[in-house]
Amino acid sequence: MKKFNRATGRLAEDMATDALLKNGFKIIQRNYANRYGEIDIIAKDGETVVFIEVKAKTGNRFGTPEEMINRKKLTKIRQMAEIYMSDKNSLCRIDVVAIILNNNKQLVSLSHYRNVY
Amino acid sequence: MLTKICSIANIGLETIPVIVEVDVAQSGFPGFTIVGLASKAVEEAKERVKTAIINSGLEFPSKKITVNLAPADLPKDGAAYDLPIAVGVLIAGGQITASPAVNLKRTFFYGELSLDGTLRPTRGILLLALHAQKKRNTTIIVPMPSANEATNVSGIKILPVKTLTRLIRHITAGQFIIPLKRPKAKKVTEKIIIEFDLNEIAGQELAKRALTITAAGGHNLLMWGPPGTGKTMLARALPGILPPLTDREALEVTRVYSVAGLVSPGEAVIQKRPFRAPHHGVSAAGLIGGGSNPLPGEVSLAHLGVLFLDEMPEFQRSVLESLRQPMEDGTIEIVRAKGHVRYPASFTLIAAVNPCPCGYYGHPKRECKCSERQIAKYHHRISGPIIDRIDLSVSVAAVETEKLSLTRQNEINRLSSKEAKELVVKARQIQTKRFAQSAIYTNSQMRNRDVKRFASLTSDAENLLKIAADRFDLSARSYFRLIKVARTIADLETEEKILPRHMAEALQYKQNT
Repeated sequence: MKKFNRATGRLAEDMATDALLKNGFKIIQRNYANRYGEIDIIAKDGETVVFIEVKAKTGNRFGTPEEMINRKKLTKIRQMAEIYMSDKNSLCRIDVVAIILNNNKQLVSLSHYRNVY
Repeated sequence: MLTKICSIANIGLETIPVIVEVDVAQSGFPGFTIVGLASKAVEEAKERVKTAIINSGLEFPSKKITVNLAPADLPKDGAAYDLPIAVGVLIAGGQITASPAVNLKRTFFYGELSLDGTLRPTRGILLLALHAQKKRNTTIIVPMPSANEATNVSGIKILPVKTLTRLIRHITAGQFIIPLKRPKAKKVTEKIIIEFDLNEIAGQELAKRALTITAAGGHNLLMWGPPGTGKTMLARALPGILPPLTDREALEVTRVYSVAGLVSPGEAVIQKRPFRAPHHGVSAAGLIGGGSNPLPGEVSLAHLGVLFLDEMPEFQRSVLESLRQPMEDGTIEIVRAKGHVRYPASFTLIAAVNPCPCGYYGHPKRECKCSERQIAKYHHRISGPIIDRIDLSVSVAAVETEKLSLTRQNEINRLSSKEAKELVVKARQIQTKRFAQSAIYTNSQMRNRDVKRFASLTSDAENLLKIAADRFDLSARSYFRLIKVARTIADLETEEKILPRHMAEALQYKQNT
């Protein structure tokens, strides 16, 4: 089951990356990790560094992906982002991409929320 | 980029300039922080400002925004900082550029924002205007609904603003806002709804006369008598005979009402002399003012008007005692942990008292059911120092049945409120002239040295007073009080000197106990 989820996550991150590229973002790094955890995607929107958390759900039986992002999760991302930004000087923000897939792992919906922190 | 916007803070009736510093940083995470001892209402300005800017069709910068309300150690309260913060954010964020024609250093921004970007009525506009007046060449930008309040102040430019969008067009010199003009010095006719006319009240000629004297000279009045004889009605008839506020008085009253947020939108100045009748359940904080950021209480809202305490012994003793300072000094000082605030509280006290708990002590026909002890206890509720500050005391006795009859015959000789008011206004005009050079308005406010200067007693009147003083063993305070009352009675007759008959009448209203 766990393995299954990871595969889904991987798939969703690819979908998110495609969507971001289509919107003019430049991808800097994927799966950036430090001692606090992992940031799914780091991209650049113009001059602004954007930290992106991707959240995917299969079906809607257990609620929407948006519901899975809470303050605690965002604080964690913020901490990691601060470390990443410590030697850089530019605008930055945190975005969330919420993806819903159907049981055949096909995209049902993708929403991009900007500046969520 | 950093922008500084001028505004003010109100601490009671004092104003302190506040600089709203807004910084929009070019790096770091987006966020919105307000520092400078902001209260909850100021803290919530964040959400109002953000939404108002977005709903005005502009972009809210998704950058790191820091707002500082300087001086940093002064607690800030109220929603009036919404407007300066919003303007600061827009300028600092580079959304708009202030045209050189708008001198930000000499412009005060003040007002509460609504989520849709319109400006809501905000309290304290008059104080802002008075503050701005101290500097030359200043402009104040205030919400349109409250802007009229500022028109009483000369020497400043008042720009009424309806919406944030409209203000931005002004700042960017797209379309300037037309300053509000000062109203022409025409006398606005007073609209006073008279609850009771004096001629509706049966009998009680003495009390009506005492009421006229009170209205004319601002003397404190105590009415005592059994229930149902018209004490409350008499007091309620008082607003109908009170003289209109002079311009100087009106400004003083409006200042207090502006702080309390009681000036209705669109109203420029309070024109009606205050008449406050708090219920006897009122708390000390309600009566003299209070709260952690002290707001004016009933005594200050009754400034230059009337404070009517019906059933005075029913008030809590501690509450009544708190009246001592304002009755003596005409001001009230409220001290709280955050600091102290002084409000004016020069009012005329009208008190209605029953002679005993059951109300029928000394009634010609009905029996009083109270014990001696009960009566003594009842009287003790009002302390000597309070009683001592009451100039006129009048008994409102039971009305003879004959006077109650509804035939027209009876009403012919009755004094109407209109006639009484004419007398009062005339007497007030004499006093206004008399005290033009001093800080007081009425005979009752005279200090002892004023009494010596203005009383002009005839020697006969003085002799009469001396005899009375010997006979009744009058205290020095009562002595001067009687002269003040006699002065008002003489003014009602437009008599320059106090004649024996004026003094004799004043003696009638002396307290028996």
